[in-house]
Amino acid sequence: MTPSTFDDYQTGFFFDEMFGTGQNHQPVEHYQKVFERIDRLTDHEIEEKRRQADSSFLEHGITFTVYGDEEGTEKIFPFDLIPRIIPNSEWKEVEQGLRQRILALNLFLNDIYHDGKILSDGVIPEEIVKSSPNFRSEMVGFDVPKDIYVHVCGSDLIRDEKGTYNVLEDNARCPSGASYLLENRAIMKKTFPQTFRGMFVRPVEAYPELLLKTMENLSPRKSQKPVCVVLTPGVYNSAYFEHTFLARQMGIEIVEGRDLIAIDGCVYMRTTHGLVQVDVIYRRMDDDFLDPTFFNKDSLLGVPGLMNAYLQGNVALANGIGTGVVDDKVTYAYVPEMIRYYLGQDPILANVRTYLCWREEDRKFVLENLESLVVKPANESGGYGLMVGSDSSKKERETYKEKIVANPRDFIAQPIISLSRHPTFCDGKIEGRHIDLRPFILYGEDIEIVPGGLTRVALKKDSLVVNSSQGGGSKDTWVLEN
Amino acid sequence: MLSRVADNLYWMSRFVERAESISRMVEVTKDTYLESRREIKDEDFWHSTLNALCAVEVFEVDPIDKVDEFLLFSKDWMNSTRNCIFSARENARMVRDQLSDEIWIELNNLYLFFHDKDALLVFRNRPSQFFARVIRFSLVFQGLVEATVHHDEGWRFISIGKYLERADQTSRILDTLTLKFGESSRTDLISVLRSSSALSAYRRQFRGELSLRNVASFLLFSQDFPRSIRFAIRRIDSNLHEISGVPRGNFSNEAERLIGSVLAMVNFTDIDTLMNAGLHQSIDDLQNKLIDVGQRIFEAYVLLPFENENLSQHRAVQSFAQQQ
Repeated sequence: MTPSTFDDYQTGFFFDEMFGTGQNHQPVEHYQKVFERIDRLTDHEIEEKRRQADSSFLEHGITFTVYGDEEGTEKIFPFDLIPRIIPNSEWKEVEQGLRQRILALNLFLNDIYHDGKILSDGVIPEEIVKSSPNFRSEMVGFDVPKDIYVHVCGSDLIRDEKGTYNVLEDNARCPSGASYLLENRAIMKKTFPQTFRGMFVRPVEAYPELLLKTMENLSPRKSQKPVCVVLTPGVYNSAYFEHTFLARQMGIEIVEGRDLIAIDGCVYMRTTHGLVQVDVIYRRMDDDFLDPTFFNKDSLLGVPGLMNAYLQGNVALANGIGTGVVDDKVTYAYVPEMIRYYLGQDPILANVRTYLCWREEDRKFVLENLESLVVKPANESGGYGLMVGSDSSKKERETYKEKIVANPRDFIAQPIISLSRHPTFCDGKIEGRHIDLRPFILYGEDIEIVPGGLTRVALKKDSLVVNSSQGGGSKDTWVLEN
Repeated sequence: MLSRVADNLYWMSRFVERAESISRMVEVTKDTYLESRREIKDEDFWHSTLNALCAVEVFEVDPIDKVDEFLLFSKDWMNSTRNCIFSARENARMVRDQLSDEIWIELNNLYLFFHDKDALLVFRNRPSQFFARVIRFSLVFQGLVEATVHHDEGWRFISIGKYLERADQTSRILDTLTLKFGESSRTDLISVLRSSSALSAYRRQFRGELSLRNVASFLLFSQDFPRSIRFAIRRIDSNLHEISGVPRGNFSNEAERLIGSVLAMVNFTDIDTLMNAGLHQSIDDLQNKLIDVGQRIFEAYVLLPFENENLSQHRAVQSFAQQQ
């Protein structure tokens, strides 16, 4: 028998996407073809394909900027060649869950910025919502177009030891990664054309078109084709590639704050032939930076007067202002309640068990069990500031104890979940690495989700943190036709 | 189109042209150096080049002590070939959506080449290969701009950037002759023509008669040679009018008025008048006018009218201050 690439592969005590919970080297059915293809590759072929893919990313400038590096180094987002595969039946269920979730999140935002019924009914404590740093009192009583606040949502999904999908967090401000989802697909098609063709993978390339439709749906001016733009913080932002990529795919302008000007409650872009009124802005910067006359006074990135124009209804923003409340990990814990409250349904996708440190009994439990929990700041993203109890030193735990006691509202804790693993190329071998999934949910006239999403993979051995800023990479995600 | 995008395209194009021009100058000067008399010192030999590029002071304090490597690789002098490529790419990155993938890939590849220190090694070991790569890049870039970009407004800004830079560079190359110590030699004249890639075109027109007067006349006034100053100015003029839609001969903004007057100058001045007035002085005047044209284009298409008002107030204050 010829040696197999997978001979030394260990699934460990995890749910393995390719091999399930079994310890034998028998792939689950939907991975069979990919398994056979990879199994036949020689080390040399693997290396060659990797090199090709990497240089293609670099050449096309598909990179992110590393912060805190003086040379302004751009890195490629590491890409793994073994695709993550999801059977359609499984995806359908996830998709239903995501639809349900984005509906509930939007109903919740509309509620808290208007009558606050969910608060007065005591389902969610009012002080929790109002104390969220991303709650925007300016939005109270303001009607956003079509009552939609979150038009683009990236909810991160993980699978536990049994393979059950759970929502780990919602990103309802400026979720990024959609461009990698599209570029990963393009590269995979080049790298494994034969395998790809035989698998009947559901296409993803409609994303930019759907995103544009979602934006156009918001336009305050109906008399003409809406002028939509992508607003970027600029070329030094880590996701700048994505911003230009999406603008180019949608065929609309990418603008910086300095390209826009607000006059008498309308927003215009500065062109070589004078000012052109803008209807919809897909903004890729947080609320804080949008308008120095309203929020962060020192922001040079924003447009003075933009908020005024927004509140007069002359320009639409995607996502709306104040959506960050649902990114708050304390609010997150209540999403299942929201689904029950607004939709009268049971949540299709479960949350991860979350301990809220501001609740006395939860805090007590957290402080006594730090070693077996993950502690997260309620309002950070990108995997910053979290502590995995089992990997922490005594000193770290002491520091976190002090932090939690000082500001219980700012912290939550969750059990350490062994995210599912996926075979991944690591230094010439194939090893299991933990993964998650970030689907992109678009909410315009309808709710649209391109099949799958961005699979992120923690490339460091045993690491549970998949964020690109923390050494994560990505994989193409194949949702199969049948 | 977005004003900033017009500005980025214009500068991207200028920097690409500048990178090529600086590289050509270094290549030719290095080559000429081989034939120079032995007693001439390195610095003296390069002096006129540094001077024409206004880089004498920066060179003195730059960590790189060889002139050729300084001109190509300096991190501190903004016009080194390396920095030009970096700036061109930076501008291109801001307007990726306007460029074809082919253009981006060419530019990005050259950037990666300079980023990796590969460039310096290639330059030291196989200089001719180095120059060929940089110059070929610029030519491919120009070809791709012609062949893969909409010939719309953005394309016209790219053209204007290219020709404005080229007019400026050609004038600087010519200026090296007036900045030399003593009379220009035959080698110097040939070197200037080669720096502008003009040697064979020149020979065809003047049949081997090599003189400062003829070389200057050719580079300044040739009607059809694409690196002559007159040719470049005609292109800038026509592109500006295409953008505004105002017929040539008329003008709708200061940029058009000014380029029209420079065009009239190169159309109707003869070389002897100009030589009598002093070649260096005339080149200097021309360069200043071209700088002004660039500024006026910025005011006409990038700034908003009320920002222009502020600017002219600002200017008035400044010139008042200077008179004190």
